[in-house]
Amino acid sequence: MVGGVVVEVSELRKEYPPDIKAVDGVSFSIKAGQIFSMLGPNGAGKTTTVEILEGLRSPTSGTARIFDVDVVKDYSPIRDKIGVLPQNFEPFDELKPWEALEYWAGLYDKKVSRKEINALLDVVSLSERMNSISKKLSGGEKKKLGIALSLVNDPELLFLDEPTTGLDPKARRDIWHMIHEISKKGTTVFLTTHYLDEAERLADDVAILHKGKIVAKGSPRELITRHGKMTVVVLSGAGHEALLEVRRRGIEATEEDGDVLVPVKDPSEMRAVFQKLSGIEIKVKDMYTRRQTLEDVFLGLIGSKMEEGVLKP
Amino acid sequence: MSRIYSDIIGFGKQYLRSKVGAFFGFIFPILLILLFGAIFTAGGDQKVTLPVQNLDGGPYSLALIENMTLTGLVKIETIPAEENIDDYINEHSLPLALLIPSDFGMQVEQAIAANGTDMAFVTLYADMSQSTSGTAATAVEIAIVSMNFQISNAKPVITMGPLQSPGKGENFMDFFLPGVVGITVMTNSLFSMSSLCGEYRQRSYFKLLATTKLRKHEWLISKFVFYSVILLASLLTTFAVAKLAFDINATLTPLALIMIPAGAFVFVSMGMLLGVAVKDPESSVAIANAIGFPMMFLSGSFFPISSFPGFLQAVAAVMPLTYFNNGLRDTMVYDNSVSTLANLGVILVLGAVFFVLASKLMSWKER
Repeated sequence: MVGGVVVEVSELRKEYPPDIKAVDGVSFSIKAGQIFSMLGPNGAGKTTTVEILEGLRSPTSGTARIFDVDVVKDYSPIRDKIGVLPQNFEPFDELKPWEALEYWAGLYDKKVSRKEINALLDVVSLSERMNSISKKLSGGEKKKLGIALSLVNDPELLFLDEPTTGLDPKARRDIWHMIHEISKKGTTVFLTTHYLDEAERLADDVAILHKGKIVAKGSPRELITRHGKMTVVVLSGAGHEALLEVRRRGIEATEEDGDVLVPVKDPSEMRAVFQKLSGIEIKVKDMYTRRQTLEDVFLGLIGSKMEEGVLKP
Repeated sequence: MSRIYSDIIGFGKQYLRSKVGAFFGFIFPILLILLFGAIFTAGGDQKVTLPVQNLDGGPYSLALIENMTLTGLVKIETIPAEENIDDYINEHSLPLALLIPSDFGMQVEQAIAANGTDMAFVTLYADMSQSTSGTAATAVEIAIVSMNFQISNAKPVITMGPLQSPGKGENFMDFFLPGVVGITVMTNSLFSMSSLCGEYRQRSYFKLLATTKLRKHEWLISKFVFYSVILLASLLTTFAVAKLAFDINATLTPLALIMIPAGAFVFVSMGMLLGVAVKDPESSVAIANAIGFPMMFLSGSFFPISSFPGFLQAVAAVMPLTYFNNGLRDTMVYDNSVSTLANLGVILVLGAVFFVLASKLMSWKER
């Protein structure tokens, strides 16, 4: 490992004939113990990147090193140290969770005791379902089982490819909590997601990927500071006419779902904005301030909102 | 070793819990044995029904009908003389019918007078796509030969002795059992493996496995060992059922027990080789059927290969199931160890070729 760096990626490219650039010159590094999130819409190149790092695809060019080992030249020293939850994970239908863990541990030459299996099922809150056939588990429970399988070999680096896609809000929050707990134990986590709130809440570092390129990277706070403003004044239900009126007064604003959003950088700018707004006759349902989020940054960088991984105009 | 063992246990639990696996491993061969056994060995009236329209009604035509009945091959039914036979055949969808013309007696008399230069004729209507047609034609031929002897006052000087069964095969089931075992070994190994490859690819299990320490050849060995054990258990069960239900004489020799893992080896490897091309369970079923069904019918499981046209015999000669069926019959029915070992050798060579090709060509990763 070089100076605590677990993953080092440089100018990574993956191209498919005739001219598809799935990954286009991506560079980043992940430090030990970090939760690193690769954020982007469907087709941005997240899974291609993560599968190159998992040894499942070969890059067209560039380098990727994990634990200072080149993933293309020899993956065998890495295999023991990583855990993988693939996108759209499906457990083996006919195995019970405890059997699946015992089976998976055996594929790493590891014999696990029932006590260790119980402890692992506790981590993912599946103890009560340990004797249910896997095909009868809910979507969230299946993902939890997938995470448990990825932890069975005590990995130092965990790849979670869209772990909460398609889950209900409660199941998503459960998995966020689980990822936090895993990270607290020192495991480095590589998380791909298209949920902006997930990346903002969990990640120490985020790379926003769009059309195979990283368009921004840094901690969520750094990204918000660098690419956006810290606070947004929300004129709820003000509508399009109000937006035009606000802009006519020289105030930078955007419209989202009928709300007019006015970003402000600091308290002095906020006072100035309020003064200008007080002189305008507009009808609003409500007016409040909120912190700017990664979603605002994403909107600013990409020019589109993202819903379930799909870019919306 | 421990990885292979873990995969056998993990996969085995899934297989045994899935009803499909249990059906094709155990219930399917038993059903085949009981069904075909009931058709071919149970008592019952196995005579072919032959409708006859006798427009003559004289002593020669009645003697011909009696001689046909005496063959024991046909049961005579009467088509009324006033019916038009062509219309009657169509209206009743008859696959067989015999017409004795109204001047049959006169034709016989003329033939006798002409000292054999003229001949009397009957007409057999037969749908040759049906196996009963051959039986009916044989019965008519025998009856005609008998009548010719009677009319010419000749005595037969050559006859066939009592029918002897080759090897230990005294009934149909002795010959059929190895074929059923062959089909069971093929369907369980070949169909299951190609379908498994489709499912593993569609559900990204191969990718998941590729992230563990299990290697492709270990996975293949695990499947070979698992299917060998299951198919040995299936052979013992099927053999016991055939013995109890039909008192077969075929024996379970040590070479027969060796043939099972050899069969699992060749068909598991072949299934994995087919799995190289499949992307999902649906395409795997199509490919396995395209290869497996012709093999099932052309490899001597149901019909003797010697009854096929030459080009189909050539096709049968390149099918692994042919050598498996032959080897199993050679040891279970004929006690012919040399021939069994020769067939075993072919199976092992084919298995090794398929194994190496499957290990090399199959990719668990994305291309």
